[in-house]
Amino acid sequence: MAIGPTTPAARPEPGPRHAPPFLGQVVSGAALLLLLGLHMIAQHFVVPTGLRDYASVIDWLGSPVVVFLEVAFLVVVTYHALIGVRAILFDFGFSGRTARLITNLLWVVGIVTVVYGVALFAAILNAG
Amino acid sequence: MTAPASDGRRTARFRVHRRKAGDTASRYDEFEVAVGPNTTVLDGLVEIRRDKDPSLTLRHSCFHASCGTCGMRVNGQEGLACVTKVGEAAEVTVEPMANLPIVSDLVVAMEPFYECLDPVDRPLIRNSETVPSELPDGIDAYTRYEDCIECGICLSACPIAGSDPLYVGPAAIAAAWRVVEEPRGLAAGPVVRLMDDEQAVWRCHVAWECSEACPSGVDPAGAIARMRRAAIAARARRLFGSGGGA
Amino acid sequence: MAGTLDRERPLAAPEQRRGVGGWFDPRGRRMGGFAFILNRLTGIGLVLYLYLHLVVLSMLARGPDAWDQFVDIALSPPFLALDVLLLVGMLIHGLNGIRVGLIGLGLVASRQRAMFIALMTIAALVALVGALRIFGGE
Repeated sequence: MAIGPTTPAARPEPGPRHAPPFLGQVVSGAALLLLLGLHMIAQHFVVPTGLRDYASVIDWLGSPVVVFLEVAFLVVVTYHALIGVRAILFDFGFSGRTARLITNLLWVVGIVTVVYGVALFAAILNAG
Repeated sequence: MTAPASDGRRTARFRVHRRKAGDTASRYDEFEVAVGPNTTVLDGLVEIRRDKDPSLTLRHSCFHASCGTCGMRVNGQEGLACVTKVGEAAEVTVEPMANLPIVSDLVVAMEPFYECLDPVDRPLIRNSETVPSELPDGIDAYTRYEDCIECGICLSACPIAGSDPLYVGPAAIAAAWRVVEEPRGLAAGPVVRLMDDEQAVWRCHVAWECSEACPSGVDPAGAIARMRRAAIAARARRLFGSGGGA
Repeated sequence: MAGTLDRERPLAAPEQRRGVGGWFDPRGRRMGGFAFILNRLTGIGLVLYLYLHLVVLSMLARGPDAWDQFVDIALSPPFLALDVLLLVGMLIHGLNGIRVGLIGLGLVASRQRAMFIALMTIAALVALVGALRIFGGE
């Protein structure tokens, strides 16, 4: 195995000009400080045993404000998580077409996650 | 492995990375070197090459931390070998800087590092600092050079440079920031736009290893943070239509 | 005139770069480097937990028996220990995230070490209180 510089790689395309995902990460992170805090308090720290039983969950989800907040939490945490995954993957130096493919795939994963979560809310409320 | 001596010198073990062109893997050779309280790693390496193994390849020049040539990893930490003392260490492991191609033993190819610096067109003279009004006899003026000695240590220390071959690295962004801070006739706007890139300022994850390792007080991590602020401000100006300058 | 960032060759051959192992190698690291390692590990852990949590929540759609059975298991000591681990991960990631966010926006960069110490101290205290609540019941 030879040491020294490798043979020239293909010239990478310039980086994308859209808003840096870091800004989205900061905004969603700030929102999560509030949303996650509310979620943790509501689900675990005001409940005597620390976990809501079925009846308590159905009762909790009876409020439209709660449902809105939980869906908002799901959207924000999914966005933050997948932007984080994207950042880690991009630390491998992907660029151009591969970078766009990764970003698009993560958008699909994110949308599927949120749709799944909203569908789950609906299923829980219907079952209750 | 240390042996006390009447003149205060003792023996320390140097474990030195070895790899020549054509080798399929690295190895570590061990040498017993007489060291004193002020012996530097570079002193030890020069003695090894002079008296024990002339085939050891290493780079050095000024012996006083101003040329940046002798950057390497000593016991896992980046530093300039000429000012890194052996101290009380019984064993010293010496390796080349990481994330740059190895040429031989402790020498790495610096061309990829310079290629990252070149697009920034950084000036080398710092005009913003005043010189003392009273100069010594025989001195007409002082020239203040930029702090960066282009040693490559920041790139070696950066965890992201280890995985991302396209990341321009802390030194390039720090050099770019100096153009923004003190343009000296250059246009700062294009430099900010150049650094506002996924493979420039937005690749940094605030590990701060570059600033911790920098032997010259450049603070590249701080420069990256300030360059990000400049990039965001430039985007905001473009968004709200007040121009695309720096 | 500033040039372009396009470069024809990468910095070093893959076998000469520290790679992913370099992200998590503690040798030679200082405080900021450990903060980076912690943030990355907790972030990966929390992503995995997010999807695990979404799967577990599907038991709610199966009715009270399925969910209440799960609650009984989740209140057992081994699971409570995992809950404490989760809490620690969230605190580290969230509070260090404040530091990363502020510094990453170009604010308070000179105070990064002090911020890390202060925020991790808060994380430790909240984790302790949380752990006592988790294991202590009410």
